[in-house]
Amino acid sequence: MKKMRTFFIIMSLLLLSISGMPYLTASSAAEPASGKTYQIGTDVTFAPFEFQDANGNFVGIDMDLMEAIAKDQDFKFEIKPLGFNAAVQALESRQVDGVIAGMSITDERKQKFDFSEPYYKSGVVMAVREDQTKVKEYGDLKGKKVAVKTGTEGYTFAQSIASKYGFTIVPFDESVQMYDDVKTGNSIACFDDFPVLAYGVKQKNGLKIVTKMEEGGSYGFAVSKGQNKELLEKFNAGLANLHANGEYERITDKYTGVNAEEPAKQSRLGLMVNSLPPLLKGLGKTLLYTIISLFFAFILGLIFGFMKVGQNKWLRSIATVFVDLFRGIPLIVLAFFIYFGIPQAFGFKMPLFLAAVLTLSLNAGAYVTEIIRGGIQSIDRGQMEAARSLGLPYRKAMIKIIIPQAVRIMIPSFINQLVITLKDTSILSVIGLVELTQSGKIIIARTFESFIIWAEVAILYLIVITILTKISNRLERKMSNG
Amino acid sequence: MGKIRVEALKKSYGANEVLKGIDLEVKEGEVVCVIGPSGSGKSTFLRCINRLEDMTAGTVIVDDRDINDPKTNINKVRENIGMVFQHFNLFPHFNVLKNIMFAPLELGKQSEKEARATALRLLEQVGLSDKADAFPSQLSGGQKQRVAIARALAMNPDIMLFDEPTSALDPEMVGEVLGVMNDLAREGMTMMIVTHEMGFAREVADRVIFMDGGYIVEEGSPDQVFGSPKHERTISFLEKVLKA
Repeated sequence: MKKMRTFFIIMSLLLLSISGMPYLTASSAAEPASGKTYQIGTDVTFAPFEFQDANGNFVGIDMDLMEAIAKDQDFKFEIKPLGFNAAVQALESRQVDGVIAGMSITDERKQKFDFSEPYYKSGVVMAVREDQTKVKEYGDLKGKKVAVKTGTEGYTFAQSIASKYGFTIVPFDESVQMYDDVKTGNSIACFDDFPVLAYGVKQKNGLKIVTKMEEGGSYGFAVSKGQNKELLEKFNAGLANLHANGEYERITDKYTGVNAEEPAKQSRLGLMVNSLPPLLKGLGKTLLYTIISLFFAFILGLIFGFMKVGQNKWLRSIATVFVDLFRGIPLIVLAFFIYFGIPQAFGFKMPLFLAAVLTLSLNAGAYVTEIIRGGIQSIDRGQMEAARSLGLPYRKAMIKIIIPQAVRIMIPSFINQLVITLKDTSILSVIGLVELTQSGKIIIARTFESFIIWAEVAILYLIVITILTKISNRLERKMSNG
Repeated sequence: MGKIRVEALKKSYGANEVLKGIDLEVKEGEVVCVIGPSGSGKSTFLRCINRLEDMTAGTVIVDDRDINDPKTNINKVRENIGMVFQHFNLFPHFNVLKNIMFAPLELGKQSEKEARATALRLLEQVGLSDKADAFPSQLSGGQKQRVAIARALAMNPDIMLFDEPTSALDPEMVGEVLGVMNDLAREGMTMMIVTHEMGFAREVADRVIFMDGGYIVEEGSPDQVFGSPKHERTISFLEKVLKA
């Protein structure tokens, strides 16, 4: 028992120190000495507009433009690499001040956002596997499947001609998944913006472009409608200056011009080794979020678990509602609801850290509640009766007689929940949490090496979960030996 | 003045009335055995006396304290009423000594040293001095029940309730438990015993109560109830159990 207590004290101190830090740093960063720091949402995997280079920096046309404009107009910004859909939702719910993510200016989007002057003219092209010779035009797509990325111009275009040419659409969230679907042959072709596909082909993504660019829309920088006017004005002014002094051309040429960088030749082993540091960093985040969330889940579980086994009808009902609610909502929906839904409804900013911990804690808390309820109720009623008949109050009987026996029964379920929550952190990549899975996605966006990186990610999960399970099993044995 | 006074006690589970109006007074030092067919409400009756079951109507007064009075601290009342269960209900995560010492220590009744001395004395009394360090899982049923009796006695109660203490035991172990109970009765403990051991009841009880269908049907000295039962249901019950 003593060991357990020290364990929990150390754990909680550790958690306090870790969980306290992001808040402290975040609050001090929110109001810098000179002016506001704008939060700019962006995609994570949209080369050449935004992607992470081998050093882990976000680079690309959008990033360089933003940098140059901020310098020209003297404002500060912070990039939030959320993923395209998450970035758009974050802007809608005012979690970020602006979004630059190779976003086409459409009438639909204009209803919700104010756009800058167009900063890049784009258009949709079709690509197929590089050894594919039969599909050269839209007419060849009849009866086939076509991969597209949700929320893109390519998607809208594909939709508009799908029935005419008789193909079906397979939507993906990430460019890389779309390319992989074509490479593996599930889809025969894909539609994407020309600069993106052109860059990918150059980086040896295994595809080739087979059509001319459709007359397409233009990319714009967006802010929420009626918000951040001065930011939009600064962007437009800066953009005009960059056009005038030739900086704009220099930036776009760097990524899409004839002299654009070729990918560095890298062996598979080299890639594995080089991608290990960012993946390990992601793994650290995964572990951190797992531990913090389980800590709070445990507290929630204790509160609601005891409410559920208690004698008060009202508390029992509240606990039942809690469990039904958070066990019934899929984790991904809960994440979206907490990170995008609630802030939009009430008009405040939700830190990603808080949203992630809330999501995981509430979900795991519901399960921990059931584990604790089940553990306590599995103890024979006679134990409580014997303790009460000796004159012990309910609380004392609970703490000294019931809980010590119940904990032993609960431990395997707790270990199980630990493993589940650890794996569930990967779902939070949808709201832009850069944990292990998202770290993998980001590297693949740059290298197009799905097999190696996903294998590496899977192995890292396996190693960590195996180690944690072994430690927990040892703890379990120690506990049951008294 | 009675140690235990029960007046018009009723207990229902939903629509099912298990006790339909029980009146009883138990005097200090008296040993009362409760017999009757299963489902007659004997155990429920016993469990109402220390409020392990909440009664639906009526009064139970133990040591002049109305156990249903909101001002009564039921925990204090229970400290003075030891209870022994059919299935022993020993604490499996404690060894024998800790099982016995637990309540007096936890409730601050005795110092660690006193509690240990008491526990060892009680273990000797129930003939299990050599089992002090054993865990409940290492004991036979009869040994478990003797430890359970010692555990109840550790709080130094005035009253002991026994709820079918030998029903879960193998026949060869019944004797050792009844022996301990017999000693207790001789020492003047106030006892209420729900039992199917008719021989024991006849030998030890000051008074025997026959319950059936939620009522006390007949009561009297062992000789009266066993020797010349008056009520038809008592006669047929005794015929059945004594034949078997």
